[in-house]
Amino acid sequence: MSLELKTSQNGNGVVTVLIEGDIDMSSSTEVRTHLTDLFKKKQKAIVVDLSKVPYIDSSGIATLVEGLQWSHANKTKFRLTRLTPMVKDVFEIARLLTVFEVFDSNEEALKGI
Amino acid sequence: MTESVKLTIPSDPKYLSLARKIVYHLLINHDVSKEIIPRLVLCVDEACSNIIKYGYNGCRDQPIEMTFSLAEDFFEVKIRDYGKQCDSRDIKPRPIHEVKPGGLGTYFINEIMDEVNYCTNREKGTLLTMCKNLKGELASARREIG
Repeated sequence: MSLELKTSQNGNGVVTVLIEGDIDMSSSTEVRTHLTDLFKKKQKAIVVDLSKVPYIDSSGIATLVEGLQWSHANKTKFRLTRLTPMVKDVFEIARLLTVFEVFDSNEEALKGI
Repeated sequence: MTESVKLTIPSDPKYLSLARKIVYHLLINHDVSKEIIPRLVLCVDEACSNIIKYGYNGCRDQPIEMTFSLAEDFFEVKIRDYGKQCDSRDIKPRPIHEVKPGGLGTYFINEIMDEVNYCTNREKGTLLTMCKNLKGELASARREIG
């Protein structure tokens, strides 16, 4: 399954990235490159919509952890939304659900930014 | 009765999705509950990713041989590679409280599987054996409990 990354900007410095496809060893580099480019543009907030990610492995998790660390260093908000059951389960096993800001909808994620 | 399926893929990350699909269908056909299947698929994927990254140093044309054995109450995966060997004592997951990229694959395998064994007692490569007890994990058993 090939990966697709769709980015939309709401005009207030908030970018939403919809990821479609499995995030594994073969595709996590593409996600990393995309997020790195967004961080370099000094966005106010980056919202990552994971509703179309049926599978994530440790390399995908590592990419999102890197994003989180980058956001802390650059004072950018970095939020995850709409985790699929598999992705949520992996976050739970890794005990990362409370480390990230995770929301059930993009609307909720955009509040307070 | 134990049923076994063998699969060999090249050490190219693009074949990981193929391995995942095969493991998924094997487990679905064996009536394993849908709650546990993604976790078992993840373990196979992580093991192969580690072989590609560390055993074969990213080389994409080396063999990864897998044997999946399924019986009524267990799932066993044997994964053979012919890459660089490492001391199994050195294969450690990172402490889970440390929030940093990397080191999670081994943690997932150890957390999900009941038995994990790395055997390097051979001229080349490693034989990884992972076992999961399926008692209570079959969909029919879950329906009965429910």
